[in-house]
Amino acid sequence: MRIFFFIFGCAFFFVAEVQSVEAAGGSYSDLTLPRVMYRGGNDNPRPEALRSLLAEVARRTSVEVNREPIAMNISDPEVFRYPFLYMGGDAAFDSFPADDLKILRRYLNYGGFLFIDDNSGRVDSAFSAAVRGMISTLFPQNPLGKISREHSIFRSFYLLNAVSGRTIVKSYLEGISIKGRTVLVVSSNDHGGAWSRNKLGHWNYDVLAGGYRQRQLAIRMGVNIIMYALTLDYKKDMVHLPIILERMRRYNPR
Amino acid sequence: MNLLAKLLGVPSEEYNHWQLHWLSEDTAVILTTLGIVVPAALWFFWTSLNRVSTRARKLLLFALRLGAFTLLLLVLLKPELEFQKSQSLRNSIAVLLDNSESLSIKIKTIADESSRIDLIKNAVDANVAYFESLEKDFNVDYYFFSDDIEKVAAGTVKNTYRAHRPYTDFTRVFDALVERYPAQSLRGVFLFSDGADLTQEVGEISRNMTATLKELGSPVHTLQAGSNVGFKDLAIEAVSAADFGFVQQPARISLTVFASSMGNRNVPLVLKEGDRILVSKIIEVREDTKRFETELEFTPENAGKRIYTISLPKFAGEVIHINNEKELEINVVRDRIRVLHLNGRPSWDSRYLREVLAHNPKVDLLSFFILRNLGDDVQAPVSELSLIPFPSNLLFDDYLSSFDLTIFQNFKYDPFIDKKYLGNIRKYVENGGAFLMIGGELSFQGGGYSRTAIEEILPVSFRDNPRPLVDTAFQPVLNEEFSRHPILRLEKDAELNQGAWRSLPPLQGINIGLFPDKSAQVLVQHIAEKKSAIPILVTGNFGDGRTALLATDSVWNWNFRNVGGGGSGRYFQRFWNNVIDWLIAEPETRRLQLESDKERYRAGEEVLIKFKLLRRNYQPAVNATAQLILKPLKKKSAVKTELKTDEQGGGVFPFLPAAEGFYTATVAADLDGESLTEEIMFSVLQDTAEFEKPLVNETLLKKISEITGGKYHFLNGEDDLSAYRFANPNVQIKSRSWSFSLWDNWWVYGMVVGLLVADWYLRRKSGLS
Repeated sequence: MRIFFFIFGCAFFFVAEVQSVEAAGGSYSDLTLPRVMYRGGNDNPRPEALRSLLAEVARRTSVEVNREPIAMNISDPEVFRYPFLYMGGDAAFDSFPADDLKILRRYLNYGGFLFIDDNSGRVDSAFSAAVRGMISTLFPQNPLGKISREHSIFRSFYLLNAVSGRTIVKSYLEGISIKGRTVLVVSSNDHGGAWSRNKLGHWNYDVLAGGYRQRQLAIRMGVNIIMYALTLDYKKDMVHLPIILERMRRYNPR
Repeated sequence: MNLLAKLLGVPSEEYNHWQLHWLSEDTAVILTTLGIVVPAALWFFWTSLNRVSTRARKLLLFALRLGAFTLLLLVLLKPELEFQKSQSLRNSIAVLLDNSESLSIKIKTIADESSRIDLIKNAVDANVAYFESLEKDFNVDYYFFSDDIEKVAAGTVKNTYRAHRPYTDFTRVFDALVERYPAQSLRGVFLFSDGADLTQEVGEISRNMTATLKELGSPVHTLQAGSNVGFKDLAIEAVSAADFGFVQQPARISLTVFASSMGNRNVPLVLKEGDRILVSKIIEVREDTKRFETELEFTPENAGKRIYTISLPKFAGEVIHINNEKELEINVVRDRIRVLHLNGRPSWDSRYLREVLAHNPKVDLLSFFILRNLGDDVQAPVSELSLIPFPSNLLFDDYLSSFDLTIFQNFKYDPFIDKKYLGNIRKYVENGGAFLMIGGELSFQGGGYSRTAIEEILPVSFRDNPRPLVDTAFQPVLNEEFSRHPILRLEKDAELNQGAWRSLPPLQGINIGLFPDKSAQVLVQHIAEKKSAIPILVTGNFGDGRTALLATDSVWNWNFRNVGGGGSGRYFQRFWNNVIDWLIAEPETRRLQLESDKERYRAGEEVLIKFKLLRRNYQPAVNATAQLILKPLKKKSAVKTELKTDEQGGGVFPFLPAAEGFYTATVAADLDGESLTEEIMFSVLQDTAEFEKPLVNETLLKKISEITGGKYHFLNGEDDLSAYRFANPNVQIKSRSWSFSLWDNWWVYGMVVGLLVADWYLRRKSGLS
């Protein structure tokens, strides 16, 4: 029994040690996903979401990541060091100050990307209403629209033809495109909840209804969103089309 | 006449004729309207005079009203009296002698091998007496013609008549005659020609020419020189191709092969560039068909002005050999810059560069991102992935030469590219391709490129380092020596340019252990502690190609981070566009720039060769020596001259080509230890259009005479023209005139007013309203 505890203790130490080295070992060029902080509501209902997603990205793709969680306000001068922002929440939040909206508009117009994730798991949640209010102020001439299944987000790494999440509140993603580039994506399905796992590797939240496959599709969508931000419409280049179309014809998972 | 002239104060002795003109444009309308209105008005007026007691007053009132109406009618019709001095005009006969080059064609049916022009000369000589007799009653004017008319004195025709003009166009000739002979004074035309009008379709006459002939209004007697009997010829005619083509894009040349009396045989049609055959085709010539339309398709491989030759074999007995070959010039340009962009892993640096490349309309981008490494666990079968196999064989064996620029961005070749293909990249650059390596963990030593062909072609040597990429924030500094280098030109003005570079945000991360070669150009560097300079942006040449490296993977900061700092991504885009332009050696980035003031010259026209020479650092090479060689394309003789550059590094050389044809101008200079050479081509036109349609056009000549009421005659060497007779009516022409307006003067209006006032006064006196 002592030997068992010794071995178990060593293994635990090793796992914990490896994770802390990985967390601290990010290079300046590694992908970092800052979380947007805001006033009111709850800006971090899924604290493990980004770390978990980045771990999956590192495990599955060639992208080098920095798993160290970072959070910042839109007004932070450093925000333009990170062209990808994640904004989660599960409750109504205060309207963004006009200056912050101006910065965010500039951020998105000139090359940045924002992924907004409704973690409430409810239809027409207070967070969703606040997000939509913010977006209508941000881009009054460019309303939020459904993202088509033909969009590169559905093929930037995995071939997907469904939108998953911890819950499936909406069967689609919404977004805003500027000059042919999607700059903002909104999920109503609590993707962060599906991604989150603790340091021991256990899932933090159960997915509703779909089980393992649903969670895997949510992770794949997370990977695809990051890949889209990094490569844009690369997968729509002519060189990829014949193979991708053939695979999409054969593969029709749900 | 005299009385009228005296009345109006016109000197009658100066004019012998007068004429009345009605200037109103709507005379018929006015007369019709007044013809209805005036009688009705006069009738009403006459009936209103019933209360006038005396008949005399009644008549007087009516006369006054009638007079007023008459004067008003005059004003409306605007009469004008013209006094003229007219004189009789001597009528003219025009003798048109075709002097186009097709008249030099020999006539096989005549034993002594006379040419068409000899037939005309003989006919004119034989009928000298007839023409002299015509001169008693007519002006007999002689003209040489081709696409215009040139008047010649009768006495000089014999000595100056030769077939040399390059183009025949009868319509323009008849237009010129119409303009030259007004008032129907041209009573007849003799047209000596072979009828080979290049503007007319075979067997047809154009509407324009028909209209011009009708306007001419004189009989045109056509006298045909030569015939098509036994005319043996194989010719390339009607070559049609775009003036420019695109590299690696099929170009098409449409042409017609003409064959006369060639029998039934298969003839090879060949398209060549220099001595290299590009394409050949068999034309099945048949006796019963004269023209064979065909197309030649080929793919230009290199940009620049290219001279192509289309040729048919020359057969014995052909009347003309010059038309068996045709040269044409096509300016081959890049339709788009083909860029191969390989990324070792997705990153912000590669994302922003891809955006610039993808949005540049000049760039045709093929990019590959390595999205997954061998050790990655994608947790899905391949069929659920969008990843495709990396086509290294196709890219680096078959199609590498089709790219203008290859970019390796943070890309480790192993295991995606076999090492042997790195040698292909070296050959590709050696042959004029361009290569750029952008930094990151997987570049240079980190990518395993030490002691490979890539190290050889890059302008640096690698020194192995356990940490080849250091995480250092730094502000890049321009190397002052290369401040005029085209890559560094973010702004045209030197000071603004320096400011633009200083305004850019700092970068982070440097690939170290890169040591510039002697010939390398270090454009941007980082001055580290102890003042050691670390190269950041280095350019160089390898063979005929250009290479560059960027020893950092954070240039994207000049775009997005700059936006965050209140700037824009403009300089980022310009920087990359400059890099691309320089790497693919766009003309404005070359150190030796050569051009001619025109692309095509006429024979006898002066050619200006201009060149500019820049030093290694792109400063003007003042007072430098360059050698210019001007050479006809197919001859060995060449003009060689040594030139000195001026203060701007430029030079101009005027040159008068001795003959028609295609020329090459080559400028060579040894500067800063490098041999620079540039070559351009220009053409001095050799117009052989006359021999593209060399057949005698009998139909056209017959139709001309038929339309104008003239006669057609075939010149056979025994030609008597004395039967040709011309009407000689008296034609008067106006030499002087003086006009007098009968309505636009004060006394007409005065009389109208006077008559109406008198009418009104008498009516009042007579008790009328």
